[in-house]
Amino acid sequence: MKNKTLLLAKTLIKNGEGIGLKGSTAFAKAVVILVFLIIIPMFMSGIAFVVAALLGMLRQIGQEGIILTWGLAINSAVVFIFGIFYIISTFYFSSDIELLLPLPLKPRQIIGAKFIVVAVYEYLTTAVVFVPMWLTYGIKMGSGLLYYVYGLIIFLLIPFVPLTAASILIMLIMRFFNLSRHKDTVKVVGGMLGIFIGLGINVVVQNVTTGMSQEQVMELIQKGNNSLIGLAAGIFPTTRWGAEALVFHAQLSGFISFLLYTGFSILFYYALLWLGELIYLRGVIGLSEAGSRRNRTKQVQLEKTAVKGSVIRTYTLVELKLLFRTPIYFINCVMINFLYPVFFLFPLLVQNEEVSIIQELSKALNKPGTEGMILAGSFALALFLGGTNATTATAISREGQELFVKKYLPVSYRQQLTAKLLSGFILGLVAIIMMVLFAVIVFNLEWWLGLIILATAWLPILYTSLTGLLIDLYNPKLDWDNEQKAVKQNVNVVYNMLAGILPAGLTIAFIGFAFNLVWAIIVLVGFYGLLSFILAKLLYTIGVKRFCMLEG
Amino acid sequence: MRDGLKTERNGKGMIELTNVSKIYGSMVKAVDNLNLVIPDGEIFGFLGPNGAGKTTTIKMITGVLNPNSGTIRVNGKDIQREPLEVKKQIGYVPDNPNIFLRLKGIEYLNFMADMYDVSTDERKERVESLAKRFGMADVLNDRIQSYSHGMRQKIIIMGVLVHNPSVWILDEPMTGLDPRSSFMLKEMMREHADSGNTVFFSTHILDVAEKLCDRVAIINKGQILFCGTLEEMREHFKKNASLENIFLELTESEE
Ligand SMILES: Nc1ncnc2c1ncn2[C@@H]1O[C@H](COP(=O)(O)OP(=O)(O)OP(=O)(O)O)[C@@H](O)[C@H]1O
Ligand SMILES: [Mg+2]
Repeated sequence: MKNKTLLLAKTLIKNGEGIGLKGSTAFAKAVVILVFLIIIPMFMSGIAFVVAALLGMLRQIGQEGIILTWGLAINSAVVFIFGIFYIISTFYFSSDIELLLPLPLKPRQIIGAKFIVVAVYEYLTTAVVFVPMWLTYGIKMGSGLLYYVYGLIIFLLIPFVPLTAASILIMLIMRFFNLSRHKDTVKVVGGMLGIFIGLGINVVVQNVTTGMSQEQVMELIQKGNNSLIGLAAGIFPTTRWGAEALVFHAQLSGFISFLLYTGFSILFYYALLWLGELIYLRGVIGLSEAGSRRNRTKQVQLEKTAVKGSVIRTYTLVELKLLFRTPIYFINCVMINFLYPVFFLFPLLVQNEEVSIIQELSKALNKPGTEGMILAGSFALALFLGGTNATTATAISREGQELFVKKYLPVSYRQQLTAKLLSGFILGLVAIIMMVLFAVIVFNLEWWLGLIILATAWLPILYTSLTGLLIDLYNPKLDWDNEQKAVKQNVNVVYNMLAGILPAGLTIAFIGFAFNLVWAIIVLVGFYGLLSFILAKLLYTIGVKRFCMLEG
Repeated sequence: MRDGLKTERNGKGMIELTNVSKIYGSMVKAVDNLNLVIPDGEIFGFLGPNGAGKTTTIKMITGVLNPNSGTIRVNGKDIQREPLEVKKQIGYVPDNPNIFLRLKGIEYLNFMADMYDVSTDERKERVESLAKRFGMADVLNDRIQSYSHGMRQKIIIMGVLVHNPSVWILDEPMTGLDPRSSFMLKEMMREHADSGNTVFFSTHILDVAEKLCDRVAIINKGQILFCGTLEEMREHFKKNASLENIFLELTESEE
């Protein structure tokens, strides 16, 4: 039985979602390899560096173990959030389900296999944070062999508890609400709901565990010997045992913690299988029917709806509608713009009241004479937000087999590209507006500085929208059968991330020069204005030609 | 509604293909040095076995594909030189009706109307009458995703008719239509051609072609085997043979 589960998991991984490099050019492959060989190791060594520095400080008060709790807690939270979306799409909306259901498989085998698939994908993310933290701690503290053995097993078990929590949450939602008729809405709302429930639980747990007075905390700190470990465990209390097992690996108490950690992780997994056996099928059957509300009574009001609009406006609106209505596009291109502040809020919620990051940051943001730096920082942030937004970098790819429609419309390619550019630009603006609002409200950023940022930082957004569209015009991924492949497995998104992040690095380096505000405005606006102007010229000449040559 | 298009014709056909070839990749010659004149005022049927090159030809006329060589003129205008002018005159029903599935029917019609620059008044009137004729009034507010194959076909046809083009190019338009809708479409094609416009469509239903077309072309392996009126065809081959027999004979002798 177990073998069948593993066999199925293997098949699903092989058959499924690679990073989709098969059809790409040598250049595309080279860039991806570059990312894996250079950027990720760079990121990992950055983490190692920070961990090493923190260890030095925490060691003096005998609290170095808290680093491991933090690491595990952050990893668990990330697994949970990504897990919600992964689970919804692999458990309920993946195209292989219709093929699997008729096979002689038990629900728990399907669930188990899909769980393993998701867990394997999660390892790719968790390794980036966990491995440098784990190794740095081990080396710095001179830990013994057992530390590394425990660590490896703990690493493999990291996704189990948060992913089970996510799965159970989703399975309950799918089972007890009849959602089959609103397939698209479910994918999105389900995901949001999951995250908010998760955040809610987190806040409650935080309040319970940290409902201590300042004296009590001070007392704990003074005790030393890693007495703080339990305090930072976050949503998932099991992470505490994971950290304790690593810190006290040489003692019996470490072994007990290790047993507790592994035991609970495996217990959770079996609980999931048991629950899946009971409720999975009821939730999944019928979901494949595309849902529609038939309002026979509600006829179209032609007076209101059939009104002429301009070509660009209508085209842009349709692009946006498709982005909002296709769950995978919504999650990757739209929602992310609204969620950035939430991601920034998340660590703040986890904070103890005693150490207020908010106050520290407000102070830093309101120091006189730093306005130029703040503007440069906002440009870098805008480049990052714009670069990670997949809208224009997949604008052509998303057309897929429907591209031919755009070829017979009597609308010039110039106008079509403008509309595609606009849709990405508008979504990028949302991100920057959200960030500025957030900075003004939470960090007390001066409102006039906020306005200056809004008035200028649309330029980097325009720049990343242009680079995305140009990249996608040159290397569109049109041959897909599943929308997921158009955005999730599209290297153009990675290219555009680089196109945003590299100049963001430059702009941050430029902060070092500490220009005053006026000079910062002149230099930044001049530079990104010129860059965007050149790219727009390119788009309207060779970009249009390229679009003309593409055949659906 | 037939504007001055007809007067421009100077005895030339509405659609002219001269030495048109299309090669997919570097191997498959899907359309091979094709010459075809599709006159206006007639219904022109385009027949041929699967993979003969019908869809490829149609896609080149509508501007979806660029020919490797040759010229295509619609109403005297070259699709390569004045693509927008040509595209404005054409109403194209593709062979695949699964497009814009996440839009509602009415949103799709409005999108098409805006792309083809149709005024508010005209579109209201046309959407209303078309919806009634095709029995789609009740579902215009639903996503196209929820439509059946035939309903999807109908909404695409409505999207074409809403901008009232003079040249209709339809790729297997009857597929999936119920008898009533198919009858009505045929009637509309007749009306359209009779008022001096062009109707060019591909089909596998030879009965329809026989009853409806003024002129047919049979294509196989990218080359035209026959082009002419049905009478010419009967004269050319045995008298009184059915189109089916002629088709089978023609396309088989090629093997
Ligand atoms: N995108 C493509 N890439 C490569 N070859 C293609 C492509 N589309 C069509 N072909 C090839 O071109 C030839 C003509 O195809 P086409 O679609 O024009 O045929 P058709 O007459 O419309 O057939 P059917 O009656 O089946 O619709 C076929 O040999 C087909 O394999
Ligand atoms: Mg065809």
